[in-house]
Amino acid sequence: MKIIHTENLTRTFIVGSSKVNALCAVNLEVETGEFVALMGSSGCGKSTMMHLLGCLDTPTDGRYLLEGRDVSMLSKDERARVRNTRIGFIFQTFNLLPRLTALDNIALPLLYGRSHREAKRAAGEALERVGLALRSQHHPNELSGGERQRIAIARALVTNPALILADEPTGNLDSKTGGEIMQLLVELSFDRHTILMVTHDSKVAQYAGRILHMQDGAILQ
Amino acid sequence: MTFMNTLRTAFNGIFSNLLRTTLTMLGLIIGVASVITTLALGNGARAAVAANFRFLGSDQIQIDQDVQLKNGQMQAQGKTLTYEDGLGLPQAAPLIDRVEMSVSGTVKLRYGRASEDQNFQGTDAGALLNVISQGKVQPVGWPASNPLTPAAFIGQGRFYTNTEVLDGDPVCVLGYQTAIDLFNGDNPIGATILVNRKQCEVIGVVTELEVVSVEDVLNSRPNDGVYLPISFAVANLFDTTPWVTIIAHVKDESKMEAAKAQVAAYLRQRHGITPGPDGTYADDFRMITKQDVLGAQEQSAATFSLLLTALAVVSLIVGGIGIMNVMLVSVSERTHEIGVRMAVGARGRDVVAQFLLEAILLSAGGGLLGVAVGVLTVPLAASLNQGVALLDPRSIPLAFTVSLVTGLVFGLYPAVRAAQLDPIEALRYE
Repeated sequence: MKIIHTENLTRTFIVGSSKVNALCAVNLEVETGEFVALMGSSGCGKSTMMHLLGCLDTPTDGRYLLEGRDVSMLSKDERARVRNTRIGFIFQTFNLLPRLTALDNIALPLLYGRSHREAKRAAGEALERVGLALRSQHHPNELSGGERQRIAIARALVTNPALILADEPTGNLDSKTGGEIMQLLVELSFDRHTILMVTHDSKVAQYAGRILHMQDGAILQ
Repeated sequence: MTFMNTLRTAFNGIFSNLLRTTLTMLGLIIGVASVITTLALGNGARAAVAANFRFLGSDQIQIDQDVQLKNGQMQAQGKTLTYEDGLGLPQAAPLIDRVEMSVSGTVKLRYGRASEDQNFQGTDAGALLNVISQGKVQPVGWPASNPLTPAAFIGQGRFYTNTEVLDGDPVCVLGYQTAIDLFNGDNPIGATILVNRKQCEVIGVVTELEVVSVEDVLNSRPNDGVYLPISFAVANLFDTTPWVTIIAHVKDESKMEAAKAQVAAYLRQRHGITPGPDGTYADDFRMITKQDVLGAQEQSAATFSLLLTALAVVSLIVGGIGIMNVMLVSVSERTHEIGVRMAVGARGRDVVAQFLLEAILLSAGGGLLGVAVGVLTVPLAASLNQGVALLDPRSIPLAFTVSLVTGLVFGLYPAVRAAQLDPIEALRYE
């Protein structure tokens, strides 16, 4: 089954009086369980691609089917719902909420729709999956960078999403820890999780099953 | 997001910065407490007015000599308002049912070797009660809710009758303390005393009285004095014709203004007062009804309440602006948090709910503390305001609700602003 299917996906920004094509008619297909790395230098459009695939933004033109459903024309609230249930995000800066414990951070997506108890239970399972069961009551500032990213990965996993989007997941980590995180992502893809990772580091990209290169808003064939 | 989850999130938001939370609530605490105290002051003032005049009929017109302060003494203006003026009034003014009259001065009282200078009141039988009480005294320990009857004022013996008044009989009633001073424990009833050398039989003693309102304690001695039939007093105790105070009872309360016009016409005719060039009369008497007195007091109490309510509203608005400020700061401080929440699926309405609920919790907390402070402040306000403050139970839900609404109104704008953030921008914000 195709998790991602885009047709001529285009995103144009208007800066002052001129138009900037951040993404020009991109066609991309990703199958279930694939681990895809999207590479390119800064300004190539990979962040824009990430925002569109993550339903944080809507395309100017073209179509985006997520699990066969066209999500390119959804309203703000409908996109929030899709992000909540079908997409997991992993960020370079982790983006954990500092006032919440590890467990509460992981449970956060589930609080938008499910009961507190259910959220806590699922969060506990996700925490075990990333190997940090003993850290559940720690706050982010009490954890190492690698541990924080594992918490963030658990948060992305907790809703059992169709697609995990990782934006430079090792960008803020040393190479040893970064390697461990990449190993975890590889394991997840073996478990049939579909992962799309944006990076500019070719060593990190080697962990992926397929590597795509972007330049000037287009994917090089 | 379910309500319980939103509530949990909002609580976390508030308790994560207790100092700021407390400072934010301070404005509302002061506002709510001042609303409650204000209403208690107004409520107390109304209760005090009602207590002061509870025995006075609304069917009465009080007619007084017009006096002015000259060389340190009150001097009558124009012609004297006499006992005879009062006697003729019911016949001349058809809307007047009857009159009660009184006159006052000082006399020397003598019994055996005891003697003392005392104030006296010359009254007719009906006026005696009003003159004794002056609207400000009651028998000691009299419950405020009980209506006052003439019988309640009699300590020993009896009060004089209308026949005795019309005949000018030499009888008198003594104040409680004056009877003790003169008779030193002997039974005064039936005894003959000298009033300015005129013989006079003591027929009664007033029961022990106390003043009703605190401000009269220092300048009122309700248990001193002697009461005599007004005709006897007018004939025997003055060098010149004294002015009297007349209480006129109207037949129909709804025709109060017409009755006043009849009284004025009668007195102007008797005193020879004609209209001036501008058509107004330079009256030498004044008329006051209970409605006038109550109206003036009610109005000043209402003005007072309005003023303090305005102050309270201002402090609630200030409190509300405080909440809005803090929530706006909170929104910009937590832009990144909002971005993260949106990325993981918070909808606009979830963010609105979270921040609005935080504002409402702040105002509810401020409201509750304000109610507590207000209730505790009422006795303090009472002690600073001569005991005139009475907690109005309705003011508690009122003030609390106003506080909640303040939180809702002033919390809405920051919450909506938070919800309108773009998740991509918010995530980038550090």
